[in-house]
Amino acid sequence: MLMRLVILLAACIAATAAAQDKVAVGIVTSLTGPMAPPGKFQMNGFNLAAEEINGAGGITVGGRKYMVDLKVYDTRANPAEGASAMQRLATVDKVPVVLGELHSGVAGAEAPVAQDYGVPLILTVPTGPNLTEQGNRFLFRVNASNDQLNLALVDFIQKQGWAPLSFIAWNNDAGRGGVNGMKKLLGDAKTGYVGYFNVGEVDFSSHVSNIRASNARAVMLFMDEEPGSLAIKQLRDAGLKTQLIGTLAMGSDRFLKRLDADRLAGMVQYNAFPPNADTPRIRSFSERYKKKFGEEAHGFAAQSYDGLMMAAAAMQKAGTVSDGKKLRDALAGLEHDGVIGRIRFDAKGQANPPVYVTQWCANGMRRILYPESLKADCGAG
Amino acid sequence: MAAALLEQVINGAMTGSVYVLVALGMVLIYGVMHVLNFAHGVLFMLGGYLCHFFLTRLTGNYALAVLLTMAALAVVGAMLERGVFRPLQGNLRNQVIASLGLILALENLAVALWGPNALQIKVPATERLVALGELRFPLQHLLIIGVTAAVVAAMFVFLKWSKFGTALRATSQDRNAARVVGIPVERMDVASFALGTALAALGGALVGPLFLVFPQMGDAPMVKGLAGILLGGMGSVPGAVVGGLIIGIAESVSTLFLPTDYRDSVAFAIMVLILLARPRGLFGVRARGEP
Repeated sequence: MLMRLVILLAACIAATAAAQDKVAVGIVTSLTGPMAPPGKFQMNGFNLAAEEINGAGGITVGGRKYMVDLKVYDTRANPAEGASAMQRLATVDKVPVVLGELHSGVAGAEAPVAQDYGVPLILTVPTGPNLTEQGNRFLFRVNASNDQLNLALVDFIQKQGWAPLSFIAWNNDAGRGGVNGMKKLLGDAKTGYVGYFNVGEVDFSSHVSNIRASNARAVMLFMDEEPGSLAIKQLRDAGLKTQLIGTLAMGSDRFLKRLDADRLAGMVQYNAFPPNADTPRIRSFSERYKKKFGEEAHGFAAQSYDGLMMAAAAMQKAGTVSDGKKLRDALAGLEHDGVIGRIRFDAKGQANPPVYVTQWCANGMRRILYPESLKADCGAG
Repeated sequence: MAAALLEQVINGAMTGSVYVLVALGMVLIYGVMHVLNFAHGVLFMLGGYLCHFFLTRLTGNYALAVLLTMAALAVVGAMLERGVFRPLQGNLRNQVIASLGLILALENLAVALWGPNALQIKVPATERLVALGELRFPLQHLLIIGVTAAVVAAMFVFLKWSKFGTALRATSQDRNAARVVGIPVERMDVASFALGTALAALGGALVGPLFLVFPQMGDAPMVKGLAGILLGGMGSVPGAVVGGLIIGIAESVSTLFLPTDYRDSVAFAIMVLILLARPRGLFGVRARGEP
């Protein structure tokens, strides 16, 4: 009798478990360390996507519903941590797909592991161009690479006639890669002073002197929010009126809060996602994001949101929540109308989303300057 | 060119001043206890965070926040001496390992308490720009140089003429002889640690408003401060001051002639060159018993 009861009970538990099947999706990101601030935006995007997928009943595969369960690992901008997290996700957690990463160097360490175990890795933030040049069929990238960003930015800069162009850049893959890519497109004649700084450096005074001496028309700042705010403050405080050009980290209200409209006015930056653009998909995402997180939407969040949505779509299309190889093939042929635009991976796994250039207005709003077709005045960027 | 040179000298004097504050504290502790406290950089970092805390949560007054920070970290320093370094006395290797362990513990404590994001210390009064000819500097930039100069002067007076300072010097010269003449050397240990930590705290609290407060902010000042000490002469207080300033100004001025990536190399190349010419550093003297 007791035995029967136990079996019945066990069956009941199994049945409820089946009604709430889960699919674990691997996430590699930075929760701590130097990349933790951008990591938060990335996680916001994943969390919002997971919540919306689950809120709509989960992913339907083979007539069963699966709730998305994010398995998050902190890779702390460290390639060794990244490779071991990737391996753990593939062998211990046995996830069908992994998304995320911020740091190109760490992504470079994770990609071969993804290939070895046949688990697709969808990058949503790293911009190192060579990542998608390794012939790795299991690597996909939702966001634009440095090559794509540079192409758009140089096109814009040349139309403005901003030469010579000086640089202050991170002394890492992102910074050096970015400078070299732009120099190649601009030509040496149009390149002024080039200065590199190490992650964690806060004093830009030597670059300021050199930029003043070089008579540059414009300065490109290849860095993220924290050093960016310091560099701009130090350039402006020293009395330089040079045109400033920033990365997508510098086109947000958060960035404005670090500085002030006076110091930012006139600065332009490339952007993968203008959160205030008058496009239905962007407006709707921005509203939902603001409601959940209480702040302005961020490009990293939008890219990561789209990445997880694509992974979910690929699982439905491939009809599997466990076979990484089938998922890979589904991803390769997928066409997705994302928040950042239409996403389709090319033969190398690289998507080609639109790249914007926005400019700070004197009143602390932003306007869209590029592409020409999407030009919009203050308040739209 | 002249303006650029002047600008870099003033920039270098500021970074050099920060190195001096770190180096002074390390030299005091080394002189009295013969311990190189590698955790000095994270104590500098705690100075930045505590100043932010005192300024935003307790008092709106920056000067008061700086003084509170120094007092609070002096207590922390005294506790570290009693709790960590004194039990390991006589075992240099373990003391060095303990100070390296403190780096991990305190850096992660800061992350746990304040999060990994950098904090800004906003002091509108010192954000004002001061014009020097065609150059402009934030007031805070010049304040760092001025306060450091005042602290260095006060330290010299204190060590040279005060009874307590004399006792500190006596302990650093010969611990046993100091004990024989009735100096409580254990109290000198605590005092040197408290004073050294307060100086590091002052550095962090001064740099905070000019730049940012973040867990790794003390790494570079610690390494450069140490280079300044070696250059100036191990255990020499004037050596720490001159050494810190030389490193700061040399690396700033070098950026006018060399790519900025070489800045750190320049600092250490100068240290190596001076040590080749003067193996005990600029002000180093042969200690009793050394070959």
